[in-house]
Amino acid sequence: MALLKVERLVKDFDGLRANDHISFQVETGELVGIIGPNGAGKTTLFNCISGHYPVTSGRIIFDGKDITGLKAFEVARMGLARTFQVYAASGDLTVLENIMVGCFLRTRSPRSARIRAKEIARLLYLEEVSDSLVSELPVALQKRVSLGTALGTEPKLLLLDEVAAGLNPAEIDEMMTLIQRIHHNFDITVLLIEHVMKLVMNISQRVIVLDSGRKIAEGDPRSIAHDPNVIRAYLGERYARFLPKGESSGP
Amino acid sequence: MEALRNALDFSDFPRTDLYVVAVAALFLLVFPLFPHSSFAMATMIQFLMFSIYGMGWNTIGGYGGQVDLGKAQYVGIGAYTTAVMLVRWDIPFWISMPIGMAVAVCWSFVLGYPLFRLRGHYFAIATIATSLVLKDLFEVWDFVGAARGLEISPIHYDPPDFLRLIFKEDIYYYYIILGFFFLGILFVNGFRKSRLGYQLRAIKDNEDVAASLGINVHWAKIKTYAIATAFVSLVGSFHACYIKNIEPEDTMSLHISILIALMAMLGGAGSLWGPIIGAAVLIPLKSYLKEWLGAHAGLIGIDLVMYGTIIMLVSAVEPRGIWGLMERIRGRRRG
Repeated sequence: MALLKVERLVKDFDGLRANDHISFQVETGELVGIIGPNGAGKTTLFNCISGHYPVTSGRIIFDGKDITGLKAFEVARMGLARTFQVYAASGDLTVLENIMVGCFLRTRSPRSARIRAKEIARLLYLEEVSDSLVSELPVALQKRVSLGTALGTEPKLLLLDEVAAGLNPAEIDEMMTLIQRIHHNFDITVLLIEHVMKLVMNISQRVIVLDSGRKIAEGDPRSIAHDPNVIRAYLGERYARFLPKGESSGP
Repeated sequence: MEALRNALDFSDFPRTDLYVVAVAALFLLVFPLFPHSSFAMATMIQFLMFSIYGMGWNTIGGYGGQVDLGKAQYVGIGAYTTAVMLVRWDIPFWISMPIGMAVAVCWSFVLGYPLFRLRGHYFAIATIATSLVLKDLFEVWDFVGAARGLEISPIHYDPPDFLRLIFKEDIYYYYIILGFFFLGILFVNGFRKSRLGYQLRAIKDNEDVAASLGINVHWAKIKTYAIATAFVSLVGSFHACYIKNIEPEDTMSLHISILIALMAMLGGAGSLWGPIIGAAVLIPLKSYLKEWLGAHAGLIGIDLVMYGTIIMLVSAVEPRGIWGLMERIRGRRRG
């Protein structure tokens, strides 16, 4: 069953069309990646799905319900969590407290929120720093905290906006393992935006490519890597013509 | 049960802090038993009152980061409810105080709903405006004495009237406000560790992220604003019985609103002890400056100069106030 269904989604900012009739769906249990050059409309798409932006037209169906036009907190309560590209976690709170804020969506009691947050911290290897302030941690750990906070809300679908940005190769590997772990162990469907190809191509079961607000390709990572439209979007027309003829047709 | 346990639990502070707190609490408890001037007593009562105002402000202004410069209107609502009920119908403090609180909280919901559609400076400016409008209304409303205000003329001073809170000696007022002061500390201590307390700190940090965690940002702010209002209104009611002569000018002026916010900011917004530290520094300073430099040396308005200086110092040196400075020196960043 499709957990998330986006139908002909359009988002305009004054004169600029950031998302142009984007349609796709994510099945329950899938791990899907979204890639595209800068300014392709990936984060805008996330903001529309999570309720942070009102959409211009189109529909978003989540878990069988139409969530178009719902506010961000209402969408979150239905089981759709997200992380943010720039922002990691609240610097004034400790790691554990940050995760607790997520957990408070499902419990009123500080004690049970704390217990739940500790479990999540353990799963994300954050135990040793759980009493440190987030602002004192390196970026890689901050990103992990933001993952934990989102997990605290017990989501069915997790949207990850560039969780690997700014990480070194070793940290990217760690993040990759963590995402797969969340996907398998928690049984959470994952939709992620990523520029780090190593991560997207390795763990995504399916990849969606956006360019200038449109969906230009969709498929398994291998076929996407050879799609002429995708190569053109990333490298430009000038370089795409150097492609070997046999590879450009795709499967 | 859990909330009560949290309110009584101060274990996240270092032991040395708790010793200081214990000594300070002991001092407050025994202070009136030692010889003191009436000026000192009045200053101490002012200190306790403004500490509670500051604690209330700190919930929405400190933990929630919503700079509210209109708290005086709720001082006025509390004070006027108690005064009107006492003067016109002889209703005692312990009944009029909760009613005043309820009226103030209802009013805070009415105002909070539109006010919290605004963010940052716009919110701050709008709170000033609403407070000033209410003050102007009271200045022309005859039922509450208009600009002349209301006078509570005591029926009798003897024996001490614990129902109406009418006393001749300040020592009674002192211990009553001290009781509220301790209750206030316990409440805020529980609040900062509650669900709403944590959610509010997430809101202060980033509203979009808070919303993505399922927090109804608008409603969380309104609820906290109501809590802050309840604190302020309670002390407003006390103020009416203590001062016995209330006017719009000395309960609802912008000056009071600013003083409340300033105290919490100076001591440390968003920390449990901050508003108390702020009041402990500012109230004696204010009394002294007014008494000596203002009245004797003719430097009227010197206290306003001081407030301005403090705002500049806090924002330039340490936005988290005196408490933040102490934490930085000690290499800690909690509280």
